[in-house]
Amino acid sequence: MKDPLMPDELEDLPLAKAPDSIWTSIEAALDAGLKPKRVFRPSVWAGGLAAAAALGIGVFAWYALRAPKAAWEVVRVGGTPSVGSRLIEHGKIEVGEWLQTDASSRARITVGDIGTVEVAPNTRVRMVASRRSEQRLRLARGEISASVSAPPRLFFVDTPASTAVDLGCAYTMKADGDGNGLLRVTLGWVALEWEGRESLVPAGASCRTRQKIGPGTPYFDDASQGFQAALSSFDIGGGGRDALDTVLAEARVRDTLTLWHLLSRVELAERQRVYNRIVELVPLPKGVSADKALRLDSATLKLWREELAWKW
Amino acid sequence: MVTGLSDREITADIIESCRQGDRDAFRALYEAYKDKVYSIALYFFHGDEAAASDTTQQVFLKLLHCMAQFRGDSGFSTWLYRLVVNACMDEARRAKPRELTTNTAKVDALTEPDSQEHDFARQQTARSVRAALSALPAKFRLPILLRYFEDLSYEEMAAAMNCSMGTVASRLNRGHKMLARKLETLR
Repeated sequence: MKDPLMPDELEDLPLAKAPDSIWTSIEAALDAGLKPKRVFRPSVWAGGLAAAAALGIGVFAWYALRAPKAAWEVVRVGGTPSVGSRLIEHGKIEVGEWLQTDASSRARITVGDIGTVEVAPNTRVRMVASRRSEQRLRLARGEISASVSAPPRLFFVDTPASTAVDLGCAYTMKADGDGNGLLRVTLGWVALEWEGRESLVPAGASCRTRQKIGPGTPYFDDASQGFQAALSSFDIGGGGRDALDTVLAEARVRDTLTLWHLLSRVELAERQRVYNRIVELVPLPKGVSADKALRLDSATLKLWREELAWKW
Repeated sequence: MVTGLSDREITADIIESCRQGDRDAFRALYEAYKDKVYSIALYFFHGDEAAASDTTQQVFLKLLHCMAQFRGDSGFSTWLYRLVVNACMDEARRAKPRELTTNTAKVDALTEPDSQEHDFARQQTARSVRAALSALPAKFRLPILLRYFEDLSYEEMAAAMNCSMGTVASRLNRGHKMLARKLETLR
């Protein structure tokens, strides 16, 4: 149904025709990587035979595989990665097992059919869960790069001081044994969560994690060095008001990502200053009241974040 | 030979065939949606054909890759357009440092394939609309594109844009008003 306010002229707007080159590129990408196989289409007379055979195989398979142990595929990329005590060339990692790389080893894990995880040298990861609703990995130390194509909140990476929740994305996560680490997002969004604290990190942004503190405040990688240093100082403590002054002074429009997170993390006395700076950079959108924002009303903050995110 | 399908004809069978890697089925799906996806990206990126092509390609590759996760909880269109919205926003975010700016020359140059056959006045109107639409801020442009090209309901748009129906209604309303104002000055 046509919206009453929709200008009549919109009806004259034609669809643009997608260039043929797009399909050519898609086919090339498929040939190079995804390799979808053609579906076998049996003839009618062969259908019955095939169905009977499939039934037999299905019953056998059901008995044989009815309680399969969840596993992901692991491939050695370099050196001598190991799963448990086994050196891996091309094998599996099962729930509960550890994959470890030394200083010269690399490996790649295929996480079901949702994506891949590249495991860098000197890394120790454990497969925690593989279910339809949850794929979970623990990064004890080291570095991984995850590339995931799945609905939000299906893939999780636990570290000692955070859980990275995939919201449809690609990212790199580093952590030391205590949980100090860095998340860098290259595509989509990641939520870093820990004991009720949450940082939302979009593509192009990073977020540090700290032992016993959890996720820090996210920032864009192209923010000024002064901004990043002051934020780090503020997050870890000790920077105090001076650090906040620098963060506020050096913030650009897209740094409202950082400022929005800081609103609920600064002392009450500083909250008004953070609020004022955000509003200076991006006018308060309709539906967001200053009073509710300063009281940290969750619905108001969410609505405000949704509006600010168009600038991030 | 690829048979074009309307989106209403995209059935569970086709989706299932795509899941199994049937490239013909995927091509049929692509043919049914490619122009709409491309058009949304094209207007979103101010007529930048390269960005629109890249985004369209990414959307369909991701669609194929994620097909196993499509459980039919929501409509296929809703799911597809959520990928489109995310891809557009990701690309815009990546391009942020160099700032996408309206390329009115390119937008104006988007002509219909058989534009020679159309009368001059209609072409002029279409051109004005394209320019006005392209000049809207992204958050107002996207819901209008989803509404106009795909006729999504408010509920579907809310799901695709990951926001509330109230937000969709408000943005659509304000977007239409802004568009009408811009068109008024162009008439």
